[in-house]
Amino acid sequence: MAAVEAYNITHRYGKVTALDDVSFTVDDGELFGFIGPDGAGKTTLFRIAVTLIIPSGGRMTLFGLNTVNNYRELRNLIGYMPGKFSLYQDLSVEENLNFYATVFGTTLKENYHLIEPIYKQIEPYKKRIAGKLSGGMKQKLALSCALIHKPKILILDEPTTGVDAVSRTEFWEMLSGLKHEGITIVVSTPYMDEALRCDRIALIQSGKILGINTPDNIRRSYSQKLYAVRYPDKYKLLTSLRSLPLAPCPMPIAPCSEPYTLSPEPFGDSVHITLPEGTKPEEILKALETAGLPGATITEIVPGIEDVFLELMKKDE
Amino acid sequence: MFLLRKEFRQIRRDKFMVRAIIGVPLLQMLILVPAVTFEMKHIDLAVTDYDRSPASRELVSRLTGSSFFRVCATPENYNQADDLLLAGDADMVLIIPDDCSKGLAGAVNPPRLQVMVDAVNATTAQLGWSYFASIVRDYNRDVIMSTGAAPSSIPGISVSPRFWYNPTLNYKYYMLPGILVILITAIGLMMCGLNLVREKEIGTSEQINVTPVKKWELITSKVIPFFIIGLLDLSLGLTIGWIVFNIPFEGSLLLFFACSAIFLVAVLGLALFLSTLASTMQQFLYVAFFFVMIFILMSGIFTPTESMPLWAQQFNWVNPVAYLMRINRMVMLKGSGFNDIARDMGMLAVLAFTFITIAIIAYRKRA
Repeated sequence: MAAVEAYNITHRYGKVTALDDVSFTVDDGELFGFIGPDGAGKTTLFRIAVTLIIPSGGRMTLFGLNTVNNYRELRNLIGYMPGKFSLYQDLSVEENLNFYATVFGTTLKENYHLIEPIYKQIEPYKKRIAGKLSGGMKQKLALSCALIHKPKILILDEPTTGVDAVSRTEFWEMLSGLKHEGITIVVSTPYMDEALRCDRIALIQSGKILGINTPDNIRRSYSQKLYAVRYPDKYKLLTSLRSLPLAPCPMPIAPCSEPYTLSPEPFGDSVHITLPEGTKPEEILKALETAGLPGATITEIVPGIEDVFLELMKKDE
Repeated sequence: MFLLRKEFRQIRRDKFMVRAIIGVPLLQMLILVPAVTFEMKHIDLAVTDYDRSPASRELVSRLTGSSFFRVCATPENYNQADDLLLAGDADMVLIIPDDCSKGLAGAVNPPRLQVMVDAVNATTAQLGWSYFASIVRDYNRDVIMSTGAAPSSIPGISVSPRFWYNPTLNYKYYMLPGILVILITAIGLMMCGLNLVREKEIGTSEQINVTPVKKWELITSKVIPFFIIGLLDLSLGLTIGWIVFNIPFEGSLLLFFACSAIFLVAVLGLALFLSTLASTMQQFLYVAFFFVMIFILMSGIFTPTESMPLWAQQFNWVNPVAYLMRINRMVMLKGSGFNDIARDMGMLAVLAFTFITIAIIAYRKRA
């Protein structure tokens, strides 16, 4: 049985449409990620899933239970971690855990084994007030609290936002550990690199799902060959690539029906471009040299999630 | 119940809160009770005596002989006196005309005094005037008697007032029950409501809302601590009134606390309802302050409700503070029993029930 089934979910806040006809399924035991920029509708979708919002249209079920009608039963099955740290900052680590355990009619002892790998890391600070924990520790505590009642599904809204890189890696390792325990995990993130750790991802933008697939398939769905161009002055490189005679399209994201677009996009230390059919990479270097950028390099690369995302976004527009 | 334990733990942990719970009633009672009074002492009187006779001096000394007046200046003429009044240096101006003693000695025209009162504050002006009038009346009577007319020849009704329930007209006795009401209104409305909105604002209510905790459990866990704190602070305030101000307590303590308990439920219900409307503490504070203000000023704490316009009196039908204000004064000062206040108590109970019901309906665990 599917863990989550969503059919044509639509949600409006007044005139603003936050979610527009969203459908998807999450399999039992899957680690499913929603990838999208801020304001894409991830939080609204999650709040519907955890029975906090009644959607304007469509329906969603978790383990066959409807989020609107069966919310009472559902609340026992869901472990939810909102995007904002929302535990009691004036209670200690231990008190928070005990409190949430009691809320769900269980005890810390009973489900200790489940949270042990995570909780052990913050246990030395169990007497500390939650408000005085570091970001990474807060996040571990929040995860422990979301897990304390042995939920069948974890719903984590941007759990790694505002957390340092080391803690982020640690956190994803914890999630894979939980996945092995058989817990279904639905997670959202604005970080594309985290998407690779999911079984399947959904790309979401402006309330619409652009595509759902495994990270590998998503990357393979990129329609063209992709090249990375490197040059010390990246800004100069980007503007030059945009104005090369080959690329009549001045804006990177603007709709452009011209076949000769390079679609330059800045990525880390390089700019990603696609080449028009029949153009060789060397021609680009030559063009750059005449434009006053000698010594630039170009290499073919495997498209990342972000490349696909940007391509899909442009298509959508 | 674990939810309750959590609330108490949080309140106890908040050192500032604990201090405020004890300190606020102490200060409120010690400051407000003696300060908020309508008793007038030391009214600054400017006297322009054109007469300069023994009779006029006698009149002035009678005025200053009471604790109400003191002569702050003796301007030479009317214009100077007027300036003093304008500058606020004098509260009242008395002008004694130069034919005063002649008039008293039996001239054709009885002497006419001119009095000007700074009536920016109508209440103090009224009070000052009535003190003044009664002193002049006494003086007048003595003058008539000293002229040899037999007292019986002065027709008139003799009135000797006796002030029941507060025989010495002690303003503190009148204010103290009212201040107690303000105290628990503030606790019930502000503290409870802010606590709820705070959870909303920092997001903990969202985390709680996805748990199986029931609505009524949540609500009771929020209401009960402040209910208890309210009653505790009430006892504290009452103890101060008893020790420091020696206020008499004529009625039944049990009845007093029972009414206050009903009142607290009403106020907590209102706080709960307002907290469902507000999403930030700022919003809540602004609205709650408005309610506290209206409720208290219209409750009859300073001015009797009977002298308010009809619509205001009708508004007080839904003003819980007005009921408790009346009940407290009746029970504390008059020793009224259950039968005397049954109607007010009943209305208060109806309000409490209505407010809390509306609040429970309005409170949503989900959007």
